[in-house]
Amino acid sequence: MTPDTTAYYYAAYVAAGLLYTGYVVSLWWRGRRRRK
Amino acid sequence: MTSPTHSLPPTSRPLFDGLFFLAVFGVLGAVVRIVFFTPYELAQGAAQKIYYIHVAAALSAYLALAVVATTSIVFLWLRDARADRLAESAGEVALLCTTVVLTTGPFWGKPIWGTWWTWDARLTLTLFLWFITASYLVLRGAIDEPMMRARYSSVLGILAALLIPFIHLSVYMFRTLHPDPIVLKPDRPSLPPEMLLTFVISVLAFLFFCFMLVRARYRLALLRELAEEAT
Repeated sequence: MTPDTTAYYYAAYVAAGLLYTGYVVSLWWRGRRRRK
Repeated sequence: MTSPTHSLPPTSRPLFDGLFFLAVFGVLGAVVRIVFFTPYELAQGAAQKIYYIHVAAALSAYLALAVVATTSIVFLWLRDARADRLAESAGEVALLCTTVVLTTGPFWGKPIWGTWWTWDARLTLTLFLWFITASYLVLRGAIDEPMMRARYSSVLGILAALLIPFIHLSVYMFRTLHPDPIVLKPDRPSLPPEMLLTFVISVLAFLFFCFMLVRARYRLALLRELAEEAT
């Protein structure tokens, strides 16, 4: 029987999404500060 | 250091342009394929799909560190500021990707191995890689003099990349819990065709996205240098 591991799958994708998005936001923020 | 020439004034180049947004859409497309158009693996269930982003992040980290090492060698040889700037940019993206690897891995390990973490050779070496890459960026932030910063960090960048073959081969060199490679191995990939296609798409999408991140970070480094020159 296939185990229900959906919660871990969602959590991993959310965590990865947050890390990548956070980095893009940090680039945007630093760029904005530099341009000012 | 030799001073680079630019065809466009750096301040006129946006950090995020059309190519960057194309890369974002590529990643979103890969995720849609993973979620909606790729079957579950019977023994592991949905958690197996973590593989597609976990391995894509690992390969992106390896490639980014290979760029760090190559550009560091180029810097030590030619003393070209562009090489050092590219090494710094790739180093930051390598740290991001290694963090993704170390974050997504435990979400697979908990349901499959029954534990979030184990001091297995592959996991431990990857953690060491994270610390060395973080040290590389800390070292860069700690030295003000550009020439000294570039020289010292180049050496550390080359040493960090030397860990990559050991990490990749650790599953053969040591008795580990971590699964053996199922695509990047001497034999044929052991994934079914539709899963293999999803894997290839996700790796290409994430590699392109990380390349765009390095490009944006490089432009940010240019802006910072201009600001430093102006003050």
